[in-house]
Amino acid sequence: MSDCEWLSDRMPIVALGKAAWTPDEIRHLNECGSCQREWELVQVASRLGDEASRSLQPITIATAVVRRLERERDGRLRRRAWGFAGLAAAAAVAGALWTGGLENGPSQTPPQGTEVAGRLSIPLPELESLDPAELDSVLQTMDEPAVNGSTDDPALDDLSIDELERVLDSWRVDA
Amino acid sequence: MPGLIRPDSTTDPALVAAYRNGDERAAAELVARHAAALGRFLYSLGADRDELEDLVQETLFRAFRRVESWRGGASFRSWLLTIGSNILRDEVRKRKGQLVSIDGRDIPDRADPAADFAAGEAEDRVRQGLASLPRLQREVFLLRAQEGSDYGDIAAALGTTPGAARVHYHHAVKRLKELVR
Repeated sequence: MSDCEWLSDRMPIVALGKAAWTPDEIRHLNECGSCQREWELVQVASRLGDEASRSLQPITIATAVVRRLERERDGRLRRRAWGFAGLAAAAAVAGALWTGGLENGPSQTPPQGTEVAGRLSIPLPELESLDPAELDSVLQTMDEPAVNGSTDDPALDDLSIDELERVLDSWRVDA
Repeated sequence: MPGLIRPDSTTDPALVAAYRNGDERAAAELVARHAAALGRFLYSLGADRDELEDLVQETLFRAFRRVESWRGGASFRSWLLTIGSNILRDEVRKRKGQLVSIDGRDIPDRADPAADFAAGEAEDRVRQGLASLPRLQREVFLLRAQEGSDYGDIAAALGTTPGAARVHYHHAVKRLKELVR
């Protein structure tokens, strides 16, 4: 390695104050025009932007960054919670449709209910990614209407004649 | 503002690990450590003084969002600076080269203009010279001249080899010496 290459490699750390020139290096620097120009360049580059970045306030920036990170994390958690709520709602709708077939009477409904459920085949791919505990909790929300005898279902006498006929038709599908 | 944690005794990798484990004070400490260097680097790459704080904040925010991708191959600072460089490049693309020319703008007010004129002029010339270099040459040169990074660290940060980084540095020096003369 030539003296010039050696000096070139050392220039950045000397310019940053992490090392100092040796007497031999100073001697070469005084004699070599090319190294002098490079040394000048490296010195200027090493302090480039010092003044511009002096106006930056790290504490203000840190606060802003941490707040943005917190907001984003909270948003992610909220979206996940909404996702689960949506999933539970979808499961509840599927449960309501399923138990709707039971209204015809307990003695006839088990096979009909099974068939209706089989034909409905509501796709819920979201369920596939759930672990057993999460699946249990979703299934519990599905079980409630059936166990409680659909007490939350709208009463049939609230329906108009047309709506009532449509509901009855839907029950007759399996007959 | 979250309190800072043991500023001097904790290494960057330890702070990153603490942040990954949910300690946001570690993020604040890393910001405090690297914000100024990031600002210097971005300004040297051609960022406008007025947008510097936004760019620094955006860079740090994005870095922490994907902090899992920092594997420690390059130093945390070099990794951060390259993210900043990418964000600045995207900004430049959005504005179609608005930042490439730095003529006639952003000349700092100086307390003693006469005494500092030569130094200010040299800085402006270097900055303009840097803007005319290919991206890798510019980034290698700044990582070495401003941070004193070794070629191994630079290579890891920029996805190249130490030998190639050395070549880029010397090409940058050669061209800048001609431009700045």
